[in-house]
Amino acid sequence: MKTAPAREPVDASALRELRAIVGADHVRHADGDVTAYARDATPLFHARPDAVVHPASTEEVAAVLRLAGARSIPVVPRGAGSNLCSGTVPLAGGIVLVLTRLDRILEVSGDELLAVCQPGVTCAALADAAAARGLLYAPDPGSRSVATIGGTVATCAGGLRGLKYGVTRNYVLGTETVLATGEVIRTGGRLWKDVAGYDLTRLLTGSEGTLGVITEVTLALLPAPAAGGNGLAYFPGLADAGRAVAAIIAAGIVPATLEFLDAKCVEAVERFAGLGLRRDAGALLIFGDDGEPAAVARQLDRMAELCLAAGAIEATVAGRAAESEALLAARRCTLPALSRLGSITILEDAGVPRPQIPAMVGHIDAIAERYDLTIATFGHAGDGNLHPTCVVDAGDDEAVERAHLAFAEIFRTAMRLGGTITGEHGVGAAKLPYLAERLGTAQVDLLRRIKAAFDPAGVLNPGKVGS
Amino acid sequence: MTGFTPDLLNRCISCGFCLPACPTYALTKDETSSPRGRINLMRALEEGSLPADDLRLGEEASFCLGCRACETVCPAGVRYGALLEEWRDRQWQGAARPPVVRLLMFAVNARWRVRLMGLLRRHARTPDRPAGPHLMLGCFERALFPRVSRAALRLLPELAVPAAQGCCGALHAHNGDSERGRALAAELGRRLPGVIVTTSGGCAAHLADVLGRDRVKELSEYVTGRPAAGPPPEPPATDDAGPAPLPARPLRIALQDSCHLRNGLGVWREPRALLERIGEYVELPSAGTCCGAAGSYALVRPRDSRRVLDAKLDEIEAAGLDCVAVVNPGCHRQLDQGLRRRKSAVRAVHLAELLAGPIDHLEAAPRPTNR
Ligand SMILES: Cc1cc2nc3c(=O)[nH]c(=O)nc-3n(C[C@H](O)[C@H](O)[C@H](O)COP(=O)(O)OP(=O)(O)OC[C@H]3O[C@@H](n4cnc5c(N)ncnc54)[C@H](O)[C@@H]3O)c2cc1C
Ligand code: SF4
Ligand code: SF4
Repeated sequence: MKTAPAREPVDASALRELRAIVGADHVRHADGDVTAYARDATPLFHARPDAVVHPASTEEVAAVLRLAGARSIPVVPRGAGSNLCSGTVPLAGGIVLVLTRLDRILEVSGDELLAVCQPGVTCAALADAAAARGLLYAPDPGSRSVATIGGTVATCAGGLRGLKYGVTRNYVLGTETVLATGEVIRTGGRLWKDVAGYDLTRLLTGSEGTLGVITEVTLALLPAPAAGGNGLAYFPGLADAGRAVAAIIAAGIVPATLEFLDAKCVEAVERFAGLGLRRDAGALLIFGDDGEPAAVARQLDRMAELCLAAGAIEATVAGRAAESEALLAARRCTLPALSRLGSITILEDAGVPRPQIPAMVGHIDAIAERYDLTIATFGHAGDGNLHPTCVVDAGDDEAVERAHLAFAEIFRTAMRLGGTITGEHGVGAAKLPYLAERLGTAQVDLLRRIKAAFDPAGVLNPGKVGS
Repeated sequence: MTGFTPDLLNRCISCGFCLPACPTYALTKDETSSPRGRINLMRALEEGSLPADDLRLGEEASFCLGCRACETVCPAGVRYGALLEEWRDRQWQGAARPPVVRLLMFAVNARWRVRLMGLLRRHARTPDRPAGPHLMLGCFERALFPRVSRAALRLLPELAVPAAQGCCGALHAHNGDSERGRALAAELGRRLPGVIVTTSGGCAAHLADVLGRDRVKELSEYVTGRPAAGPPPEPPATDDAGPAPLPARPLRIALQDSCHLRNGLGVWREPRALLERIGEYVELPSAGTCCGAAGSYALVRPRDSRRVLDAKLDEIEAAGLDCVAVVNPGCHRQLDQGLRRRKSAVRAVHLAELLAGPIDHLEAAPRPTNR
């Protein structure tokens, strides 16, 4: 997409040193070896790195960064590459530093309600390990089966439980992080209360690989709720579903899950998962709660009633746990399932205050119509995080161009309604053009100075947030 | 040289959902040996940004097991198996095809020619052949495990079994010659009219691909779907005549799915249902993941094949089994060899054999009561 800034190539002597650090097998640089690392889940962005390095320890990460700093080689940390903001695309070339070999869960403590793990562990693996001990790791991004802890901390991932449980930020107690200079710092720790110094743990959470490489994370766990369940309601349109969301919140309920899909999303999900969802409604709302069994049943019934009162065509509570899980699993794959409608799927990630959801949905529809595009919308209704998704055909460059213009309007509309340009996916390079509009120039300048303090040589993920 | 079908290649949106399902990615944690990474290599080949003789392209074309586990979890509906065939069609021409594969293809080709000639002669004698169902004798199964077909026939005496059949072409399709693979399958379809019953998951998936799903039934699918006329298999009976035997401990049996049967045809409940009727069925955590046999893979990449197998063998040994049921000759050979190498008491037995009656080498041994 962008022209790459001038850079120091990874030359033969750099490769030699890299091999000495991580072992010859774990340094790749031939064209065929680095091609797969030219992309992540973001459409339309790609750039091959000069080398791909797979370290296996904090010391190796530190040595790679020292080398990169001394030679001004860009370094892009990478987990599973499932991000949707081009965060791991090496726009300036250099090294992609892959953390998937650091994949051990070091500790799960029921006494302290925490887990310590390496960055390459997947979210699902950690959640399973916690569940096996009767504990809950609450952050629950749709990509949990593939996204890594390192990646989800670095993007401050949200997910399907955002309203009641918050996002990744609320669970990171501490990190071990390698700075761009190769120094290793430990931020935070195992304590819930710890206010010594600036909160660097929070700063690193969501830093998108631009401030340091996270090599270990300590995460807070919760006691697993005794029961959980979900239900679903069909509405004539998304705006009606939005009103139901407002009614549920106004009734003083804080559901664990409140996800909505428009008709196009339902159609796509149904074609993949075949759950028998109704295809004739305009929108689907999935509501869920967890806690004591009786309380869960009561809340689900009340939410179903509120949906009906808000104009739902039908509202039911999932009968069995398996049904309920299948429902959420289907919701998690909405984005890739949508791609069945076309071949390029541009998903965006705007956020608005909850009461503005119906208005925002209306604006998105109007914008789609004006630009003559297919834009499906789904998202985390509970926290106002919408994912308008445009499906176009590969090769239709003109339609892609229209999609860019449409999204620019969508972001500006979200900001006008008091919202934001990204609720959970991050800025990367994809949202960088809008960042100053969102934060103001003074704040963007401050971000740059913070970035310079962490990474004086500017080697960590150049061209992304903070650049 | 053919190109990729654009619609197949464009389907992938690089979401990465397939990564956790891929056995080779589990070994390396390297994007390049994941489904998404391989599709990106294919794209580079198609665009011309990687030359066809690029080493890594060649390496990944052969490192991939072709197990299609990635297809089952891909919400975007990427048909990876079809892409892999197109990839190998491009990549594995002439000398670039692994030598072992060339040898195997030559072997079945030759056998096919011989059989075809025999058949033509026979056709001349008996022109009217009943329109199925027919039992297919897989080329490799026939050579390695002839008792499997015999057991299948004992179990299903109603099936017609012409001796001269030829190869279904799965080997060709998966190894860079999909055109010939399809031609062989079509030929076999003509030679075995009506429903074709197979004891090999790999052949079943390929045949279904070419002949249509309704023409092909894997053994377990055929048995469970058989009209009431055929009685369901009884548990392997002990001799009626003797004094009433002590109730024997039921066999503890696990199943190793055939990848193509499970991921390609969606048949996995049926063999389990049958095993539950004849013994104590044990579900291994990795039952649905590839054992590393993967057609010719175990011969082309023996080291990687064993790496894939190892964890599975540990599981099998820990589960206190009498036997592992298999539904595909490749898996049969792979597990059989692996278990023997470890001097394990557990045996790999084809489902057909288990269903067809008592197998003397498989009496459930008495066990310490604390199990
Ligand atoms: C189908 C689908 C559904 C999704 N659903 C959600 C959702 O519900 N909520 C949500 O928030 N996101 C979602 N995402 C986006 C994505 O999964 C998240 O952004 C996730 O956090 C990325 O994790 P990853 O391991 O893939 O990281 P990557 O994509 O590899 O990296 C993401 C960023 O983190 C940096 N990074 C990675 N590891 C480290 C490290 N150890 N140290 C420092 N920096 C690092 C990278 O440089 C990059 O900037 C979804 C994506 C897809 C494809
Ligand atoms: S093959 Fe399917 S699951 Fe894998 S990255 Fe492509 S779209 Fe996603
Ligand atoms: S076919 Fe099997 S080994 Fe090959 S990419 Fe798919 S899951 Fe991985």
